[in-house]
Amino acid sequence: MRVQEGINSMAGADQFPIGMRVLAVDDDPVCLKLLENLLLRCQYHVTTTNQAVEALKLLRENKDRFDLVISDVIMPDMDGFKLLELVGLEMDLPVIMLSGNGGTENVMKGITHGACDYLLKPVRLEELKNIWQHVVRRKFRHRERNTNLSTEDPEFDKLPNSNPSHAQGQHGQNSSSDNSGRYSKKRKDQNEPEEEDGEDNGYDNEEPDPSAQKKPRVVWSVELHRKFVAAVNQLGIDKAVPKRILELMNVEKLTRENVASHLQKYRLYLKRLSAVASQQASLAAAFGARDPSSYLRMGMFEGLQSYHPLASSSQIPSSLTSFQATGGPLLNRSNPATLGLPGLSPSLSNNSLSSNPLNELNKFQLVNLPGNSNHANLLHDQLPSELSFSNVTNNALLPQTSQDCMQPRQSAVAATSFHAKPITFENRCLTKAENQSLEIPSSSNDIFLGRDIKCQSSIFNEESKLLSFGGASQNNTKLQWRQDDLHESTLLLSSYLDSQLPNNSCNTMADPVTIAATGSGMVQGLNGGVFNQREGVATSGIIGSSISGLTAMTNHDSQLKQREEYNLGVQKVQGGYGSNGCSMDGLLNSVIKMERDDISYSDGDIGCDLYPLGACM
Amino acid sequence: MDYVHLRRQAASLRKGLFDQGYLDEQFYQLEDLQDDASPNFVEEVVTLFFRDSARLMANIDQALDKCVKDFNKLDVYMQQLKGSCTSIGASRMKTDCSAFRECCRDENIEGCMRSFQKIKREHSVLRQKLESYFQLLRQAGPVECATRPNK
Repeated sequence: MRVQEGINSMAGADQFPIGMRVLAVDDDPVCLKLLENLLLRCQYHVTTTNQAVEALKLLRENKDRFDLVISDVIMPDMDGFKLLELVGLEMDLPVIMLSGNGGTENVMKGITHGACDYLLKPVRLEELKNIWQHVVRRKFRHRERNTNLSTEDPEFDKLPNSNPSHAQGQHGQNSSSDNSGRYSKKRKDQNEPEEEDGEDNGYDNEEPDPSAQKKPRVVWSVELHRKFVAAVNQLGIDKAVPKRILELMNVEKLTRENVASHLQKYRLYLKRLSAVASQQASLAAAFGARDPSSYLRMGMFEGLQSYHPLASSSQIPSSLTSFQATGGPLLNRSNPATLGLPGLSPSLSNNSLSSNPLNELNKFQLVNLPGNSNHANLLHDQLPSELSFSNVTNNALLPQTSQDCMQPRQSAVAATSFHAKPITFENRCLTKAENQSLEIPSSSNDIFLGRDIKCQSSIFNEESKLLSFGGASQNNTKLQWRQDDLHESTLLLSSYLDSQLPNNSCNTMADPVTIAATGSGMVQGLNGGVFNQREGVATSGIIGSSISGLTAMTNHDSQLKQREEYNLGVQKVQGGYGSNGCSMDGLLNSVIKMERDDISYSDGDIGCDLYPLGACM
Repeated sequence: MDYVHLRRQAASLRKGLFDQGYLDEQFYQLEDLQDDASPNFVEEVVTLFFRDSARLMANIDQALDKCVKDFNKLDVYMQQLKGSCTSIGASRMKTDCSAFRECCRDENIEGCMRSFQKIKREHSVLRQKLESYFQLLRQAGPVECATRPNK
């Protein structure tokens, strides 16, 4: 069967959209049969099931088996939206919703949960003839994201088949969240199928495939990362291609692949940041009775823009600015949020962040990170006012990834808690941390930072440190140990972003965090889980450690967490949150809350797609 | 056998169904999907429809009998039934289903019951007619199928 399918798919791949493999799910046998025949008429390869549970099972068995999923909304064994989310999270496949009810609300819900499309019953042949575009679009987006990365990948260009194997792997990394807001899933996915990674930088691999050879792991030290960010900024985030970056960086023994993968992460990170930022913005807007859908999409960008004002920190490297411009990487310099530390802001000041989160953050850093003075300094140097953002920008990878992740939630989160800082990453799918980051603010500053740190930390290491302390208020116990590990943690974080598995070094650190995270039930901390405030994961002091911890947690959590958890986390966070003045938290909370209620996963690609975060599942 | 006559009868029955509003354009879609690969597609789907709708209607009957007035549940059932009707183009039934759902929304149990009776009647009539139709088709032989527009 597999073989059979494989052959078919191979054939299909060449003649795409003919042979596109669709999984149709509908509890109504009449509709299902009709759908099946319509799809066959379109010359697709069809598998049907009348149970959502069965569908999930089929999908999980082999992620590469299908190119597209069409599902009914109302089903007895599982809510169609839920299935949508799960598919988006786990498999990163485009999902089309079907329903007899075409009310705006429902359609909106579908989109926010990450559906690529929403069709009304009775479905028409003409409509089905066009659904292949969703597959292509998704691949295209992924491809764009990974342009530098796997171009060599022989499979890359294969539609759609190649996509699943490759892209999914990839996505796992940078954009697991890509669509439908996969949270941490990405990392997880990434690691799972691909493991291997020997490639380059301590992050995990992007491509499992043959083209990636085992190379000695590159550790993206602070220094290295800084160079990287500088190079990216110099080139402009849009034009930053691994080759050029590599040239600019001029580091021996660094390969293009290393850079490519790092870039991927960075982009996600930036995305995440911007998502958060926009989320916040959108949340804020939402309160102003703004159209909720706007958050998802625009949140990021808007957030970014709004953050500009905050960009007080002049230090922000140009890269940040460029990010802003792009709207992606969000890191608004000024906004701590952009840093992705939604929590940061709040945590920093505990009062309105707006004032000067960065400064506070800075202070915080210095204060809190005794152990990491280096790091703190780093951060400090880098962005006096902006916490790690500047670093963040450097770590563009992260944000970018976040973009991919664009999880609706995130934005929501960002929106809420962030004072006004567009926590871009919120919207963005903080790939790994994304979810978490969002939550961070809400729950507590600490957490927030932690989260961010996670995301960011991966990139920034230094930043992570800062980030972590954002949480300050919460208990740092766990983080404490971080400090020593800061360095490690940063690495951890970095790697974290990419890989769900914390580095070894991180592991040590992460453990506590993980424990904390898991213990508290925080949702995957980073992933979407909100850091438990109780856990105090983010504890301010420990930024560095927290970051690592977060990472650890995230990794840990991310893997587990599903949206639900996230929501849970969020909720918790929200509860715990209260105190901080940081708007971010509030924003996050609200966002999270929103998300919770309406899990909107828009397609991960915020940047590319208007689909709200999670999307395309 | 007088195939021509049978075919004409079948065609007339079919036309009547459309004219009287029992069926709508969706039914054309079903017919369009019938081809050499699935020569009896329409009949299969219709059979499936009647089987499934009978089950749903039994559920509704039961729910109504219980007199619990669980409108949500009734609405859910009816939504499913309506979905099926829409899929095959059972136009009248679809309208009646909508009416039923309205009654559910208004929490008008009497209205629901009346509405449901109507649905049952329509269901029965449609079934009868379609069964006759398919029977004629079968009797008229494959030629009949060939004459129908296929994609």
